[in-house]
This record gives sequence, structure tokens and C-alpha cells, in this order.
Amino acid sequence: MKPIVILTDSAADIGESYRQPLGIEMVPLKVMFGEDSYLDGVTIRAEDFYVKLKNSAVVPTTSQPSPAEFAEKYKEIVDRHGSDVQIIGIFLSAVLSGTYQSAVIAKSMLDGDIDITLIDSRKASFAHGIVAVEAARAVQAGKSKQQVLDLIARLLDEIQVYFMVDTLEYLQKGGRIGKASALLGSLLNIKPILTLDSSGTVAPFERVRGSKKALNRMLEELKAYAKEDPVKVAVVHADSRDAASALMERIKTEFRVTESFVTDIGPVIGTHAGPGTMGCVMFRDLQQT
Amino acid sequence: MIHKLLGGELFSQMVYQGASHLKHHAKTVDSLNVFPVPDGDTGTNMNLTFSSGVDELARQPHEGVGDAASALAKGLLMGARGNSGVILSQLFRGFYKAVNGKKVISARQFAEALKAGVDTAYQAVMKPVEGTILTVAREAAEMAVRAARTSDDVTYVMEKTLKQARETLRRTPEMLPVLKEVGVVDSGGQGLVFIYEGFLRALKGEEVSSQDQQPQKPVDPQELDRLVSEEHRAQAHLKTEEITYGYCTEFMIWLTNSTEPDKKPFVESLFRTHLDGMGDSLLVVTDDEVVKVHIHAENPGEVLNYAQQFGSLHRIKIDNMREQHAAIVQGGTSHRPEAAEANPHADGNGQAPTGKPLKPYGIIAAAAGTGIADVFRSLGVHVVVEGGQTMNPSTEDFMKAIAECEAKQVIILPNNSNIIMAAQQAASLSEIPAGVVPTKSVPQGMAALVAFNGGADLESNLLAMGEASKQVKTGMVTHAVRDTQMGDVQIKEGDFIGLADGTIVTAERELMKSAEGLLKMLVDEETEIVTILYGEDATKEQAEELQALLADVYPDVEVEVLPGGQPLYPFIISVE
Repeated sequence: MKPIVILTDSAADIGESYRQPLGIEMVPLKVMFGEDSYLDGVTIRAEDFYVKLKNSAVVPTTSQPSPAEFAEKYKEIVDRHGSDVQIIGIFLSAVLSGTYQSAVIAKSMLDGDIDITLIDSRKASFAHGIVAVEAARAVQAGKSKQQVLDLIARLLDEIQVYFMVDTLEYLQKGGRIGKASALLGSLLNIKPILTLDSSGTVAPFERVRGSKKALNRMLEELKAYAKEDPVKVAVVHADSRDAASALMERIKTEFRVTESFVTDIGPVIGTHAGPGTMGCVMFRDLQQT
Repeated sequence: MIHKLLGGELFSQMVYQGASHLKHHAKTVDSLNVFPVPDGDTGTNMNLTFSSGVDELARQPHEGVGDAASALAKGLLMGARGNSGVILSQLFRGFYKAVNGKKVISARQFAEALKAGVDTAYQAVMKPVEGTILTVAREAAEMAVRAARTSDDVTYVMEKTLKQARETLRRTPEMLPVLKEVGVVDSGGQGLVFIYEGFLRALKGEEVSSQDQQPQKPVDPQELDRLVSEEHRAQAHLKTEEITYGYCTEFMIWLTNSTEPDKKPFVESLFRTHLDGMGDSLLVVTDDEVVKVHIHAENPGEVLNYAQQFGSLHRIKIDNMREQHAAIVQGGTSHRPEAAEANPHADGNGQAPTGKPLKPYGIIAAAAGTGIADVFRSLGVHVVVEGGQTMNPSTEDFMKAIAECEAKQVIILPNNSNIIMAAQQAASLSEIPAGVVPTKSVPQGMAALVAFNGGADLESNLLAMGEASKQVKTGMVTHAVRDTQMGDVQIKEGDFIGLADGTIVTAERELMKSAEGLLKMLVDEETEIVTILYGEDATKEQAEELQALLADVYPDVEVEVLPGGQPLYPFIISVE
């Protein structure tokens, strides 16, 4: 049987503890503090990044991997797994980043016939990370390429994403604010609840007063989705581990959780969402029903 | 005195006397406020509304009752403030429609016009409440119709109408429990009775109670500019195609010595009569040597030629009103040529009078207090209409604000139950699509704004914002303006009273005690966020004291403290 390799980007925020054992390949994006460039998740990790962000006079910027870097990664995978390898790439929303574009260009640059399927997840952070994880598990379970692609399509369709940012400042500075721009600035403590719409754009879901209310509204919406079905759920956070763990404990009492993840939002997504961001990623675990 | 026919002049006298009588008793009407809080005063509101109608009426003599009623209705409509003021304006709008175009009316037609007014007012009010000015007007008008079957004397009909109005007013406490509890009759109904009393006096030929009440002509020359600008604002509800006389013409004549060979002696009444035939909205103000003239005419040249016979012409200003009308509709208060480019039926590509493209949405909020105004602006409000508890903005104030928004559609947040109707009236008069979220308090207004979605259409926004406004509890602390008993709460004048969603729940000699008691009523385990807006009469420290108190009892609840700067209410508290 031809080997299958799952490839993603660093913006998927998959911790190494998952990536290594599942054999997930990753191409890092870059974070720049002025002249200093770092490889996301490789030469800079979440915890160091947020410290640096707090102390930095300059606002960091991010950039996608170049097509050359993708081409190199493809070659590396072919070298390791053989020329009959089937690569399935799942990437950060193409609306938010040129990463997917680079991957597509890199594929066209290759000589020879390599089986590469590239997918714009229209998601970000662990929302597409969790899809890569599930896909890699399916590969380990011996599923065919088509079965894995079907699974990915179903999950991308199923996944619910809600997140709240502490301030819209970072989304605005990074130009990733999309349709959420109407929510800017106020004397009141207003927490915008955001989501990713079907095109992968950051979209306002609702704005509410205060973070307690925001969390309540997010869970209310997820409850309406999950009803009594078993769910897999991830809480993603930017430098707010305690609050994230507390939220997960609460989710476990209110939902039938079959698997849970509490994940750091990495440097690239953190640059655009800002510290204090907290989000929920959820999908129904249909194997359990 | 028997009057078989009612003409414009007599009708005007009735209105003047009604206004004078109402003005004289405005304080009495104010004192009938049900709640002992320093709130939107019915007497003041009705008096200001009616005065606006009288100003319009007094601008020129009206021969026909139809013309007089039309002028009155126009003035009332734009000047309407407070819910009673709005209802009053609707009563006379219906009256005017019934007598439109008539020179004189019979007693029966008069009675029917009163009835038509009531029908109009009932239609305008979404949820008519019995035991208010509406009931008084309705039963009085029904009596008028009955009386007109047995007599053709307007005075007799008015006598019966007034008698019934008084009787119904006496019964209002039986119809509205809150009136009975406090032991007063309905204030709006009382205001109407005062107006009717004035009507009857005029019909009987009785003298005006005090001479200073009746607007007298001629007006002070300095008044002309003000009159002109009011005149134009009052026309805002006309449609551009309805303008018959297309040019607003203003000028001054320096009267020459009549011995000069080529000049005629100036006689104001003749001059006036002659110009009257050339246009409308005529204003002539004369002092010894100077005549100021304002007229809307179709042939301004003829007007100037005629006027030149009496002296030299100065400060001539002629504007094309068909071009300008758009700007007036959108609130332009003066004749600004640069405003003439505006398109009254602005569509997707429309431009504001300033030349900027129209915003997709404009949001207006009524508020008192600079801090509250700032909060509203930070939540996306474009125009804050000054006003709140005691000063209720008029329909016209909202019309101007709608224009100021320079938007394709407008949402209005009245933030006070007594401002809702004036806002709704403005929204219905506006050529720009406008809707009102009937918010009764500042916290409701804030909650509504948080739910605003710039991407949704007007209808959905009004719905969602209305829904959101109901999810918030409002606490307000103010001082009692008189002794009273509300439910179980005994209130003394000067007490600090706490209102939870409009109901008085605490009355204490001390501010902080009252505020604490109120917070205990409003906040519970379910509470997510509390916002404390401290007003002119409270300090930041006092507000923070309340914040600390809440943090002790409900550590989970987020509490925000903001300067509201509002008068009369030391604390306005939002609980969600």
C-alpha cells in the first residue's frame, strides 16, 4: 500500500507531543520582530513569544512559508517515504494567509509526478490542527487516501469555532479583522465573540458585555450545536492557561466529552489575535454514536 | 355668545386662549406626575408643544379655519415633545385633516373634527392606554358629536365637550390604578381640559386671563431671522413637489421720505395684502424706517419691483427652494446654497449635504450627561440628542438629528419612556428610513447598541436591538420631589429613592444606603456584568464603594464604573 503523509503548517498549533507520534509533517510560518525573524514553533515557542510580545516596542509581523520551503518539504517527504508517497496537506485559511497559495505554487514547481492533495481548511489554529490530528490517526488506522479525504471534508464541515479576543487591536493591526471591524473600540468592556465564516474570514458572531457573558454565550451556542451528542473539544488560548483549564473543566461537566485538548495559540496566530484570546473548537464524535 | 359658524379668526382666538390657559397652569399639570421623581414634566412638555403650534398659527392671520388648523397642526407636529405632547399633536393633526380647505365650519363639523382628531391619535399610539389624555379626548369628542345633534351652536357644543372632558378626567384614577394609588388625575388629560377651557372662553368672548400670554404682532424685527428659520424647518414634512412658490425671497426696504416724487407712501396693511397675492409664508416686520420682508413667491422679480416703489432695497437674498428643500428636509436650518446639491431621495450612491457619501447607518441616542454621551458615541452613536429626564427633546430635535447623521437609514434610541413617542413621530415623518428601538433607560440603550449589527438590515437590527434591550435590568437612584406612598414604600420629599426597572424599591435619607438596597434587589447569582454610571451628584469614590461591595458578595460578577455626568440621578446602574 502506498504510504500517506499528513502535512500542515505551524499555524495549526499542534503541539509536538501530538505531531511526532502521529507523523504529522509541518512547515513553519515566520514571525518577525523588526529585523529578527523566527520560525514559528521551531525557533520561537508560545511561552517565549508572549513574553517577547509584552516587552517589545515593535509590533511583530508574520509571513507565510515561501514556495521554495514547501518544495523542499515535499522533497524531504519523498526522500523519506518514497516516490509513491501520497501527501495530504491541510492549511490555514487562504483568506488569512498566503500559506496555502505557497503550497500550491510549490506543487507546480516540482519535476516528476508526486501525488499531492492540498486543502484550504478555511480554519485557523487548532481548528485545522485537530483535523490534521484526526486525519493522521486515520492514516495510522490504515484508511485509504479517499477515506482520509472524506473524513477531512466531513470534519471541516462539522467543526464549530468560536473565540473571543481581549481586544480587537491585534486583529486590526494585522489587517485580519475582516468583517469584525464594526466592533472596534468602546468605553464599555465589550467582548466580541468571533467565528470563522464559510470562506475562512474572521467574522463577528455577537458582541456582549464582559468575558463571563462571552464565555456563557459561546457555550450556549456550542450546546445548541452538540445537543446531547458526544463531542471532541479543544480550548485554545493565548497566554491564559488557567482560564482555559477552568473553561475545559466546565465544558466537561456540561457536555459529553470523549476527548479534550487544551492548546496554546502559537506565535503566528497569537500575533494577530493578541494575548488573552480564548476559543473553543468542537465537533461531534460520530464514532461514538 | 352663539356661534353658528367657526372661521379662521375665531378658531385662532380659541387656540390663543387655550395656549394662554395651559401656560398659566403648566405647573399644576407638572405636579400631577405620578412618580415623585424629577421626571419629564407633562405640563411643561404640553405647553412647549402647544406654544410651537401657536407660533406657527400667529405668523399670519388666517381667514379660513382650514388654514388656521393647518398652521397649528404643522407647528404642533414639529414641536411635539413628551408623550402627551405627541398625542396632542396627533389630536390636532386629525382635526386639521377634517377641516382642511374649509373657510368656516358648522358646530357639527367642529364636533366631527374633534372626533377625527381622536381617531388619528388612537391610530398613532401603538398601545393606547385608557385613563389618559386619550380617554379624555375620546369621551369629550363623542359628547361633542352628540351635542351637535341637538344644537347648531359651536359654543354650546364646546361647553358640553368641556363638561365631559372634566368628568372623564375625574374618572381617570378609576381606569388607571397607578393614578388611584397616588391620588391624582391624569396629567395629560388635565392639560387638555385646560386647553378646552381656553377654547370655551374665547367662544364666550371672555377676556384673556393675563395679557402677556397671547402672541402679539408685529414681531420684533430681530425676530425675523429666527422666524424664517423656524418657518423653513416646519416645512420639512412637505414633499419637494408640493412646493407651489419656488423662491424664498428676503429683503429690506429703507423707506424714503414720502415727499420724494417717485416713491409711494408705505402703508403696511396695503403692502401686506398686495404681497399676499404673490406667494405665501409672508412675514413683514416694520419699524419707523425699515421694513423687513420674507416671502415665498413664484415670481420674486414682481415682488421686488413692487417693493421698490416704497424705497431702496437692501440685503436681497433669493433662494430656489425646490433645490433647497432636500437640505431642509434633512435638517438644514438656513438657506445654504451649498446644501442645494443634496438629493432628497438619496439612494445607494447618495451623498450627504456635506458632499461626503452617506453612511450605511446612522444611530441617534437621547441622553443627558457628557459621560453617558461619550459612552454612547464609543458604542457607535453618531448624534447624541441632549435631553433626558426633565428636558424631553421634541420631534423636531430628532428630525434634525436624523439629518445630521448623513446616513441612508437611521436608528433612534430614546432611552426614556417619555421620549419614545416623539422619536417615533420623527421616524415616521422622516424621508430617510428610520426606526426606533423603544429603549426606556440608558442601560437599555447601551444593551441595544451592543447588539447592533452593521451588516444586517434595519428591520432585523430593530428586532435584535429591541430584544437585547429587554435582557438588561435598570437601576436608578434619584431624590423624591414630594411625599408619597408607592406600594409598600413610604417616601418623604428629599429621600433618595431607588428605582428598579421603573418601580420604586428603596427610599432612604442617605444616598449610599439607597444605592446599596437597590443593588441587592437587582444583582443575583445569575448576574454577569454590572455597570455603574455615576452622575453629577455622586463621586467616583462612592461608585467604587458600591463596586467593592459587590465584589465581596459576588466575586464572579464583573463591575464597571464610569462617569456618566447625568443630572438628577446620582447613579444609573445596568445589570446584565
